[in-house]
Amino acid sequence: MSKSAVIGWHWPAITFNPRYTGWLASWISPLALLLAWVLVCRAQWFPEQILVSPQDVADSARDLWSSGDLQDALRVSLYRLALGFSLGSLLGIAAGALLAHSETARIYFSPTFNALRQVPTLALTPLFILIFGIGETLKIVIILKATFFPVAIATREGVRSIPRQYLEVGEAYCLSSWQQFRRIIFPATVPAVLTGIRIALGRSWMILVAVELLAADSGIGQIMEMGRQMLRIDQVMVGVFLTGLIGFSLDRSLRLLERWLLRWRHQG
Amino acid sequence: MSKQKIPLRVLKSLRGLLLPAVLLGLWEYTSHRDAAHAFAFAPLEQVYGALRELLAGGDLWVNLLGSLQRASTGLLTGAVAGIAIGLLMAFSRIALTLINPLYQGIRQVPLLGLTPLISLWLGNGEPSKLFIIALAAFYPMVLNTYEGLRQVDLRYREVGQAYGFGRVLLFRRVLLPAALPSLLTGLQQAVPFAWLAAIGGELIFNAGAGLGNLMMSAELGARMDVIVVCAISITLLGIGMSQLLSLASSRLLRWQHIR
Amino acid sequence: MVARRLCAGLVEKMREEKMHTGFIRQLLLACVLLLAFPSVLFAAAEPQEIRIAVVAMGAGGKQVFVGTPQLVSQDPVLKAELDKRHIKLTWVPVATSAVASEVNEDFASHNIDFAYYGDLPSVILNASGISTRLVAPGNLGSNVYLVVPPNSTAHSIQDLKGKRIALNRGRPWEVTFGKLLAANGLSFSDFKVVNLNPQAGASALAAGSVDAFFTLSDAYTLSDKGVGKIIWSTKQAPNDWKMRAELWGSQDFVSKYPDLTQLLVTADIRAVHWISQQQNRDAYLQDQARFGYPESVIRRDADNENVSWKDYWSPLYSPAIGSHYQAVVQHARSTGLIRNNVDVNNLILPQFVAAGVKDLGLGTYWN
Repeated sequence: MSKSAVIGWHWPAITFNPRYTGWLASWISPLALLLAWVLVCRAQWFPEQILVSPQDVADSARDLWSSGDLQDALRVSLYRLALGFSLGSLLGIAAGALLAHSETARIYFSPTFNALRQVPTLALTPLFILIFGIGETLKIVIILKATFFPVAIATREGVRSIPRQYLEVGEAYCLSSWQQFRRIIFPATVPAVLTGIRIALGRSWMILVAVELLAADSGIGQIMEMGRQMLRIDQVMVGVFLTGLIGFSLDRSLRLLERWLLRWRHQG
Repeated sequence: MSKQKIPLRVLKSLRGLLLPAVLLGLWEYTSHRDAAHAFAFAPLEQVYGALRELLAGGDLWVNLLGSLQRASTGLLTGAVAGIAIGLLMAFSRIALTLINPLYQGIRQVPLLGLTPLISLWLGNGEPSKLFIIALAAFYPMVLNTYEGLRQVDLRYREVGQAYGFGRVLLFRRVLLPAALPSLLTGLQQAVPFAWLAAIGGELIFNAGAGLGNLMMSAELGARMDVIVVCAISITLLGIGMSQLLSLASSRLLRWQHIR
Repeated sequence: MVARRLCAGLVEKMREEKMHTGFIRQLLLACVLLLAFPSVLFAAAEPQEIRIAVVAMGAGGKQVFVGTPQLVSQDPVLKAELDKRHIKLTWVPVATSAVASEVNEDFASHNIDFAYYGDLPSVILNASGISTRLVAPGNLGSNVYLVVPPNSTAHSIQDLKGKRIALNRGRPWEVTFGKLLAANGLSFSDFKVVNLNPQAGASALAAGSVDAFFTLSDAYTLSDKGVGKIIWSTKQAPNDWKMRAELWGSQDFVSKYPDLTQLLVTADIRAVHWISQQQNRDAYLQDQARFGYPESVIRRDADNENVSWKDYWSPLYSPAIGSHYQAVVQHARSTGLIRNNVDVNNLILPQFVAAGVKDLGLGTYWN
């Protein structure tokens, strides 16, 4: 087999699709890492408070599950994320499209948009609490803010970078506005928008945990914070794994969605 | 001709300030409603007073520069690492298979959640703060670099091959320009993330010079006016950096934009 | 260098003569150990530096810490002693927002040898298997306050039954809260305890989202701004209800280098002796204000105590300290913060203070 077959000009867009072997192969590195972890713990290179063993983490997870804490926390965190993220994404797409499309909107809203985007949410928490109280609304609003801006920006950039030729083709074919949108603008911007959404997801997760640390009455963030306070690093790790796992699954779903939406790209 | 244009242009640029002015007015009104509101919405005159106080004492500059320096170092490290890994993942299937799962998994863990681990393994000082900033910049850069290279239309590549481009030339002439928008988008996302991570890191980890630290000591004395000054400074600096980047990317992508 | 050549020579000789006696093997092993781990040879010698964790503010680029640690850091006698032995005193700053966690993590990763920090986190640390020892008690403790909105009709904790109270869990003053509840025949389940960090708690109180807020002296700031009213504090309670902070040392260090520990404790007593003198009280309180709290808040917090200023700062070990920690352990266990028991008698090492007080001739000062 030639070298290029291994490290060559592969276009992952074509070759990297979830065939069975592909999916299986993606487990190699996580498992290798797990193995390394187990071995290092066995060899006791680090004291157990610094590097907790997988066994401790598993035990901790089991305890949290059986006491019901884990399920409650998951339910609460996911609910907040779902609501805040979906609202933020929808608003973001709308705003981004508006900003890209309409000169007037850009003039009036751009400065405020750019300013608010950079305002550190966590610094203005007292303000938010005063306006929204300390209940679920506060947390959802904060996640909404965190999601809104990345999605809006990605949408705006996506719409703005549609190659001129595409639109000219549309005009040449005398397509109506709606057809132009459906056949040219939408498919051309979907990749950028989806990338933006995926970034926003990571952002929202981070803000979610931050919020749950500040007003830590419930949620995954609270489990991690309390774990830290009690120096129960195994509990912190449970939270780390869980958030990683959930985020990974969500990301996967987004990828599948993207693949489905872009299937026309792979033809021809 | 030009004399007529100037007032019009000035007026036009002022239109963008309409919304902010309205919001500021709302703020000032709210801050005078009662003690509770004054607690959270520091009256603008107090904010101005705090600004003068901080400038006079030199506190603002020292902390501002501290934050900027930290953020830039972290951003550079993270961006370079991100581009490198993104390139690797785009061109090597083995690298992709190995790195992608780990990247996707770890990326989803909120940085604040990793604080205890970072604190245990890297201590509570500068290295931890820089690590968090670099990590914050790393994630979007990897993603956008990889996606940018991946999304380059197959036809462009075929055109390049039709022209008989070798690998390096293909990269320089076809892939890089086509992926550049994504790279710049990645950078545009990495910069605010890195900036906020810098402030966040200063809030979480130990003391040093930084706007986050200034905010923390203001919180002790419930100096909301100082906090607002910090928040505004953070915002302005963030905007400044984004604007610079925006300008740069507009110039680089001039050939592509249609409006 | 010489040792290496010696060992090499030995190995050669061994090979030549094929002497595989146990003694030669042991000698070889000793050589290997000497080469690979020179620290073994120097085990009895002293460390390069002593690392102490302290709560610090860093606005402006300089580490600012106040009170006893600051005086210790400037102590000329201690400095001279350490210079003689070529040992550096390093102060490791920790952020005010996460003192407990950061210090515990630093102890766990052996990044520090000593720390000035609070009672509950040190109990949590010891319960997790990392041993530290109380080598120098701090002052009598910090006051904790119960604040309600200005227009609230509540006058005591009883009036707040069933209401929402903002309390930052995992922080030391939740032990005081537990004691207040127990003294009134109440329990945690009689309230809706909302876990908010101090800034969020203050906002929640100002917004009326909670009916009460349990916190440290930032309560005065809230009342000054007209968003809160203090209805109870530890000033009206037994002294061991206050939140305590002391000088803790890792058990490894303290047992290996008791003389260095003694130096540090003696310096601490010197500092505390200076602070406890009435004529220095003002200077101390003014200095505290550098940290960020307004001076008027610090003064009100320090005034009207039912012990004299001098006695407030007594570093002498008393049975009250032991029972305070018993209560902390009990609270931590009953609220599920720790799983294992902690033997309080093991935690406290009174000999350093006793020796230090004797050295400085302060035997009768605090009695």
